[in-house]
Amino acid sequence: MRQSRRIPLSVCLALLMMSAACNRGGADNTGTASNTALRVTDVTLGRAVGGDKAITDRTETFQPNDTIYASVATEGSASSATLRARWTFEDGQVVDESTRTIASNNRERTEFHISKPNGWPAGKYKLEVFLDDRSVETKNFEVRAN
Amino acid sequence: MGIFDKLSGKKEEKQRPDFSDVQSGNSSTAREPVTPSPTPIPDAKPTGTTGQGQTYTVVAGDSLSKIAKRYYGDASKWPRIHEANRDQITNPDLIHPGQQLKIPDA
Repeated sequence: MRQSRRIPLSVCLALLMMSAACNRGGADNTGTASNTALRVTDVTLGRAVGGDKAITDRTETFQPNDTIYASVATEGSASSATLRARWTFEDGQVVDESTRTIASNNRERTEFHISKPNGWPAGKYKLEVFLDDRSVETKNFEVRAN
Repeated sequence: MGIFDKLSGKKEEKQRPDFSDVQSGNSSTAREPVTPSPTPIPDAKPTGTTGQGQTYTVVAGDSLSKIAKRYYGDASKWPRIHEANRDQITNPDLIHPGQQLKIPDA
């Protein structure tokens, strides 16, 4: 009875080798960032963006005639995710709200911008960024009169 | 009356700024999802003709190269549409649903 429960050493070695081989193959397939959930890694504000959608003229103090850009950096994978930028003025008055639906499996950047032909009223503003309706980042900025 | 207004706080109300003329947009290095967004994308159709070509109303998911491909069969001809709409397109990467674009004849 006791002998029948023993597993031969050769079988154990074979199982170990198979297990190691499987792990190596798995590492090749899963070692990329594509399997991580999409997340917002950075939000920056400025007066201009480049072709890579990154801010080229970074500031958090604007003038009334500026176009205000926000660059949202994301990382990870999603077949469809919605980024939303909500811009508010002082007491919470909504200035603008816009969304962008993206598919991503890498590091990406999405820019949002707002402009006001008649000039921004001086005061304090806030940008809130949502990822799939979940608030993920808030940035405060200011418009100062010339 | 003035005193009454002051006492009742009517004069103290701060005038809220008007943001109705705010213009906004966005663009991304990320591609758009393969699956359509929850809002169905209407069929892209020319919306009219002018003496110098057609007009086209931008729908969600459009880009100048997509429109160029549709009208000229060649996506690389997007600068032609950009040139014809310089008055409303400052950044060729940014066009917005609802925009009426002039499409020059091929």
